[in-house]
Amino acid sequence: MRLFKKKGKEVAYTRYSAAAASLSVWKEIVERLMTPEGRPEVLEDVMVLDASYANFSGIIAASFLAEFGAEVIKIEPPEGDPSRKMTPFGKNVKGVGIPFMVEGRNKRYMTLDLKNSEKDRKDFAKLAQKATVVIETFPAGEMDSWGIGYRQIVEKNPGLIYIAITPYGQYTEKAREFVNLPDSDITVQAGSGLAAQIGDPITEPEPYNWPLKAGMWMGWYVTGLSAALGGTMALVYRQSTGEGQMIDVASMDAYSSMTGFPASIGYTWENARPRIGVLDFILYPYGHWKCKDGYVAIAAPRDHDFRALIKILGMWGRTGEFESDWRYTSDRIPDILDQAMILHRAIEEKTMMYTSDELVKKALNYARKAARSKWRGGGVPIIMKVMTPDKTMENKQWEIRKSFKEVEDETVGKYVITSGFVKMSESPPQVKWVSCDIGKDNEYIRTKYLQQQ
Amino acid sequence: MEGYFSYTAELFDPSKVNEKPEVLKGIRVLDFTHVIFGPTVSRIMGNYGAEVIKLELPFYGDLWRPATYWGRYWKHSNPIWHFVTQNKYFVSVDLKRPEAQDLIYRMAKTSDVVVENFAPGTAEAWGVGYSSISKVNPNIIYLSCSTYGQYGPMRYFPGWDLLAQAASGVLSLNGYPGTDKYFKLPDYLGDFVPGNMGTLVVLMALYYRNKTGKGQYLDLSQTDSMMRSLPHFAYYSVTGETLGRTGHSDPAMIAASIFKTRDKKFLALACATERQFEGLCSAMGKEDLLRDRRFTDYLEGLKEENAEALRKIAADWVKSQDSGVIIKLANSKGFAAAEVVDDKMICYDSWRRERGSVILFNDEMYGEIALAGPSARLSKTPGRTKWLARPVGYHNRLVLKKFLGMSEEEIQELEKKKIIGTYDDKPGLKPPVYYNLDEDPIYNYGREVKEKK
Repeated sequence: MRLFKKKGKEVAYTRYSAAAASLSVWKEIVERLMTPEGRPEVLEDVMVLDASYANFSGIIAASFLAEFGAEVIKIEPPEGDPSRKMTPFGKNVKGVGIPFMVEGRNKRYMTLDLKNSEKDRKDFAKLAQKATVVIETFPAGEMDSWGIGYRQIVEKNPGLIYIAITPYGQYTEKAREFVNLPDSDITVQAGSGLAAQIGDPITEPEPYNWPLKAGMWMGWYVTGLSAALGGTMALVYRQSTGEGQMIDVASMDAYSSMTGFPASIGYTWENARPRIGVLDFILYPYGHWKCKDGYVAIAAPRDHDFRALIKILGMWGRTGEFESDWRYTSDRIPDILDQAMILHRAIEEKTMMYTSDELVKKALNYARKAARSKWRGGGVPIIMKVMTPDKTMENKQWEIRKSFKEVEDETVGKYVITSGFVKMSESPPQVKWVSCDIGKDNEYIRTKYLQQQ
Repeated sequence: MEGYFSYTAELFDPSKVNEKPEVLKGIRVLDFTHVIFGPTVSRIMGNYGAEVIKLELPFYGDLWRPATYWGRYWKHSNPIWHFVTQNKYFVSVDLKRPEAQDLIYRMAKTSDVVVENFAPGTAEAWGVGYSSISKVNPNIIYLSCSTYGQYGPMRYFPGWDLLAQAASGVLSLNGYPGTDKYFKLPDYLGDFVPGNMGTLVVLMALYYRNKTGKGQYLDLSQTDSMMRSLPHFAYYSVTGETLGRTGHSDPAMIAASIFKTRDKKFLALACATERQFEGLCSAMGKEDLLRDRRFTDYLEGLKEENAEALRKIAADWVKSQDSGVIIKLANSKGFAAAEVVDDKMICYDSWRRERGSVILFNDEMYGEIALAGPSARLSKTPGRTKWLARPVGYHNRLVLKKFLGMSEEEIQELEKKKIIGTYDDKPGLKPPVYYNLDEDPIYNYGREVKEKK
């Protein structure tokens, strides 16, 4: 017996020391994650020309590269990119719209009139010879017709990565036929499959049963992210081979290609999914409910999570009513919407009795106890307060992670943006400065790149 | 112009995709992920040629395997799972067992990237966290994905896409102003967007490692990722007002809304520039609006009451026209327009097939299915699909023998101890009933197989 005990202690000690060793490594890593300032930049050797025009997906793609240290030069006509004026309810600071201010991170601004000036196009061609990446959103073939498309630049700069963003892409009959159709976020949301999936079921009154849009520029964000991802993939290839390439992003692919669901469901169901309002196709409960002081999001989809939720809401075991009601004993696959809504309302009756903080605490307490109990089967009901963006900004979590940053531009003043969407121990993304004045860096760029050597 | 489109048609020819080189050939990814967020990171790497070894629990497999839309299976598998986990090697190891650690470390030694999305702390507790893996492979790139991040007071809170949407503020923004009607973003977009960002940051780390030889640790939170898409924080800090929900309309662009046409279709319209607004006015036959002081300046036209008035005019016009007519006018006059498309339209759209946005993929085990093509089309190193999802443990022998040089006896020993294993007899985990695994040379790698009849 004694031997057994001693052996047990030794094992415990070895485990403890291993844990302590990994804890010290861990502490060091977290300290590095928490102090991103002044660390090396991934793309310090990369120069990007962003010629996107009246299109935020190009601007967003350029932002991602700029955050990782690329020198991004935004090219716009002397009167400024129309994107500057796209802003909710026209709210602006000295003529600059808020989305443009948000994406003005680490960027240089140069004026070149690509549409009208032959001389400016020549300057662009010279810059493009030194560029690693060009981003543009003109109609397919327009840059080519000006003599500054991929075909022409690549002759002298074979390492060039050329990203073109348009609604229907650079090839196919459709692209040719709709070559002059402009791009916008709401048409991307509609034309790539997002809008069809948000909103109330067809049985509800108009206009709530219409397809709805996401309340942010999700179409353009997905497109811009896809472009940045494709561009970075090409940068990795260029790093080993020296070769560049052309990247064609069709914004009408944005949603359907990112999630992949529309194509595969359309094929296997031979039909389209309907809109199902606040429900989810796979998981139940998985949505938001009203409570005393606002709303909570609840996810308790696995059987033991669901039972845990029902218990913490006081619906299980007291009266026996819930267990014996056949309407609640289904498999919780919400394909019979009416039935799913009965359960939805039954849950809402209970959540209305508590504040969001009370509900969050109930769920956490249950999960903590369940993890230690051999009877509860580890049920984890997850409850989170539904935040509006202004409340998100007050959350301690993001303060500690430095997810928000107050920045200041000499023209438009101070404002808050998100920064460092990922934490990296060696080469994290950073916001070094924001700026937005038209032609602000004309001199800097001409001196750096356009003077005869 | 003609020359341009035949040039690009050749450059991006979808029939040549499989002949072209792969960017990430030779990169090995050790994939501890489950559900959608983490798996998307490695799936995209697999699309571009990385060797992705997906580790699952024996007999249970990934939680998401049986999670199908409305409980509908396709050939005993989950149709959307095929998109989410294509091109991977499916190895099934019981990570919690100390004997499994040796296997994991051997795999980690020859890997370039590790991706995990357990609840924070779990990977460390199981001895497969960064502190352990970086000991056997100091130059590893290790990405941890979670809902709120690896540090901060909320790090141990469990989460899904829904909770990230709630905590970031995204969930509160999709719906109607002045009502309590609002909706989450559909199809787990709170997983897919962060998942794509995950691939982006791993590529950045890879680029950095190619230059410096240094690996690193990456901490990606899906709430942080969703916050990156919101200009609402800056809007709040500048105006002191919350932006709230805006229904079918985009308050940042002129005449941007979803409307209903005469032929009962839903259509999105928008004008990104003053020029495009002229196009819309001319299409509507309302050139007088161009002299209307409320609309002559883009910023002025976005003011709430002006925008409302303009949307009313546009809605009346759209109601009187067929969708096809408006789309044609949009193309010729130059303003943005797109019909709301659903799953079926996306799956069967001829231009998406021609472009390769939707491909009919023929798989050896499952036969034909429609899959979404890559979000960005790379001319020299395009992404591609090689095989669909496989049953749990399908590649055990291939990976252990070919990559780790283990013998059949060693493998059988592991199988006996249940350290590795295959699938339980459940849909989503097992092969289709018509498929005989005994005849499959990959499943039986290094063993004799019966000839296929």
